Amino acid sequence: MKLNVNGRDHDIEVEPEMPLLWVLRDKLSILGPKFGCGIAQCGACTVFLDGEPVRSCSVTVGEVSGAVTTIEGLMPDGRMHPVQQAWIDEQVAQCGYCQAGQIMTAVALLEAIPNPSDEEIDNAMSGNLCRCGTYPRIRAAIKRAASANAGA
Amino acid sequence: MIRRHVYVIGLAAATLCLPTATAGAQDAGLEAWQKIYSVFSHPRCANCHVEDERPRWSGAHYGATRVHGMNVQRGPDGFGNAGMRCVTCHQQDNAAQLHGPPGAHGWHLAPKEMVWWQKSSQEICEQVKDPARNGNRTLEEIATHVRDDGLVAWGWAPGNGREPAPGSAQETYLLLQQWAAAGAPCPAE
Ligand code: FES
Ligand code: FES
Repeated sequence: MKLNVNGRDHDIEVEPEMPLLWVLRDKLSILGPKFGCGIAQCGACTVFLDGEPVRSCSVTVGEVSGAVTTIEGLMPDGRMHPVQQAWIDEQVAQCGYCQAGQIMTAVALLEAIPNPSDEEIDNAMSGNLCRCGTYPRIRAAIKRAASANAGA
Repeated sequence: MIRRHVYVIGLAAATLCLPTATAGAQDAGLEAWQKIYSVFSHPRCANCHVEDERPRWSGAHYGATRVHGMNVQRGPDGFGNAGMRCVTCHQQDNAAQLHGPPGAHGWHLAPKEMVWWQKSSQEICEQVKDPARNGNRTLEEIATHVRDDGLVAWGWAPGNGREPAPGSAQETYLLLQQWAAAGAPCPAE
């Protein structure tokens, strides 16, 4: 089966029922997306499918027809994505486990709404849980990335 | 004279029979509607036919009725909000994992005006007949929509131990036709 991840085509031998997250982590060693719950409850596994955020634990690889982007694909030319930069500037991560998923959702939000309100941030981010409670810093980083966007 | 007699009797009989026949059709229509209502008001359908912004989690195996977790909302187009669309979790098929998200093509909320959540049989009945609140559909179009739509079909095959809506898409299609043919009667409150 063919799978395009972060602009690269892969030929993989897997059952179509295998969750995309398993394929990414166990078959392709792409370890940015994390396993938290396996049932679309936590957001740690969030990747893009044709630009839309999805919980890769709950998509079977057989359902994937388009291109997959993981957090590794946010910086194809090696330069930090503005949202990643904002995350560093705000020192968002605590343990870090949830943060790849948080950043993917934030990128999707900012692509749709470049300057989101607090409510729009909540509406986008509430499906991404953080056991360390970094939510205030996540909000600050999204606002920082939004103003960096506006300045660019 | 005899002939006239027969005619008069016939006429009287017909006059007597007429209301009975109509009442019969009305009853059959109401009976069909009652079955349709048991489908439309079932949690697999009504949970996403809500008036407000939030789909519900309710039904036989859900415990207490709740609004959908994760602050999930309708969004501007009924398909969720930027960053957290319905399709972020609800894919083309039911997730295989226990308590994983169900899925079907084009997962989204029904438009706000098509409210079934906690509405009475009469209210849903009137709503279904009103083009301003049924997506501007004829009753025949409603019947075929129920028979053919992929997301509607999920209600009868929700998977993973979730209780399905009663009957089937085809049965509900036939019931809608019977109901329409009987004049689409609605129950009194
Ligand atoms: S691991 Fe996918 S949402 Fe939790
Ligand atoms: S930083 Fe630890 S779970 Fe979010």
